[in-house]
Amino acid sequence: MADDKDVLRDVWFGRIPTCFTLNQDEVTEREAEPYYLLLPRVSYLTLVTDKVKKHFLKVMKQEDMEEMWFEYEGTPLKWHYPIGVLFDLHASNTVLPWSITVHFKNFPDRDLLRCPSHSVIEAHFMSSIKEADALKHKSQVVNDMQKKDHKQLWMGLQNDKFDQFWAMNRKLMEYPTEEGGFRYIPFRIYQTMSDRPFIQKLFRPVSPEGNTHTLGSLLKEMYPAAIPNEGQQKRYQVVIHGIEPLLETPLQWLSEHLSHPDNFLHICIVPTPTD
Amino acid sequence: MSSCVLDKETFRHCCQLLLQLSEQLGDCWCWVPVQDSQDGYLRKTALRLVTIDSRPFGDQAESSSELGPHNSCLSGPDVQQNDQDQSALIGSANGDIIRGDIEDQDNKDNRDGDDGEDRICRMCEGSSQVLQYEYHILFSCSYRAPVLYFRVCTLEGRSLSLEEVWGSIHPNFRLCLQTSPFTMVTQQEHPLLGQAFFMLHPCRTEDFMRPLLQAAQDQNSPTGSCLITWAKLCLTRESCTYFQLCPREKSDMV
Repeated sequence: MADDKDVLRDVWFGRIPTCFTLNQDEVTEREAEPYYLLLPRVSYLTLVTDKVKKHFLKVMKQEDMEEMWFEYEGTPLKWHYPIGVLFDLHASNTVLPWSITVHFKNFPDRDLLRCPSHSVIEAHFMSSIKEADALKHKSQVVNDMQKKDHKQLWMGLQNDKFDQFWAMNRKLMEYPTEEGGFRYIPFRIYQTMSDRPFIQKLFRPVSPEGNTHTLGSLLKEMYPAAIPNEGQQKRYQVVIHGIEPLLETPLQWLSEHLSHPDNFLHICIVPTPTD
Repeated sequence: MSSCVLDKETFRHCCQLLLQLSEQLGDCWCWVPVQDSQDGYLRKTALRLVTIDSRPFGDQAESSSELGPHNSCLSGPDVQQNDQDQSALIGSANGDIIRGDIEDQDNKDNRDGDDGEDRICRMCEGSSQVLQYEYHILFSCSYRAPVLYFRVCTLEGRSLSLEEVWGSIHPNFRLCLQTSPFTMVTQQEHPLLGQAFFMLHPCRTEDFMRPLLQAAQDQNSPTGSCLITWAKLCLTRESCTYFQLCPREKSDMV
């Protein structure tokens, strides 16, 4: 059986081949070529697309370029969601490369958060880590860390340094042996079938009777429609990092190994393709 | 803080109490239920006539310490959402802002003549407009505390940026927050609506809640006092940090 550490590496180094095309209504001096990029699943759009901006700057005037934003089939993409989550949620089961449209005008300020600099991404990332630790350890582990330790987590993500990141992140994945797991599991369940952006509630990895909770028990509580009844066809896929883990997988294990660098388990529920 | 930690049910009770108080005071908080669950949140919308300090945030922080404690020249009085009174209030508010500016000039300390004039000019130039404020109080189960989300739009529907929102906050309050603005007020996705709001950082909420909850504990009925204290918290314009962002009410709260 594969070492658990291999899973951590596979998650970290997951990539999505993407094609960036300029919105045809943008004002250009000549025709804009699309730009191809391998996007890290665990990073954020605004952190890894400086090259995209530079590429389109070649055919546009600086003064025609306001804050860059991205859209897929008419849906503005939320940069503060990890890239892999955006792909799984909106473009699972579509042909690669992922086709994203780039905009420099008409920023949808009601729907998208502004991202004027990388420090905003850092603040958002650290805020997620802190919230996850509030759930896992009542914030004790993250509060015991020094500022330089927090910086190490961010720099690890920003510079794609797996070892640097995990040297610090492993502390956030520990728990007292007598507890059997974290206090609560940091998770978010996303779906596009209703207006609610995500479901996030308190959920323990072990029941009061001592039973290990699984992905299935989480879904039964939070999104029962995702679990098919006996004999019924599967209407939904439950996707984490582009794969469908078995529903019997222990939730504690998923939290330790399939969380994103922000320490949250991001779960996408998408309709099963009918082809 | 453990014996008086807020949980969801207590939060719901607090909200009911707040709604009663709100009604007594003629304020307009309401409860918005979330479909398919017992969850919900408090909401209030209000129109405010505001003069926005359009200087960059760094400059605002520096100079705010030099403004007198009684100044309100950078943000205007509030406009109640009462249709009958609206036009009358806007009319008088305009007058008040201009008078207030001139009066306050006399009370400024350590400003030489030129700067003083610059200040008057800057404030007159600053855009004075009616803005719509929308406040939501949600319960964060991660932090076991109420969290304030708010957004500010022009009447045409344009959302204000963080800099503009800073520009409309009372300078004294701005001074308190100036050390680490990004950890106090940040733009966030509203967890139920999925839209862009500003949020007051929950960690600070905890710092703030702790002494209040402790005080409530000291009284005979901890839970009841906790509720009343928290409800007062929401409406009192003096004490709580984040609710200084709320429009000031005409009448003083209990």
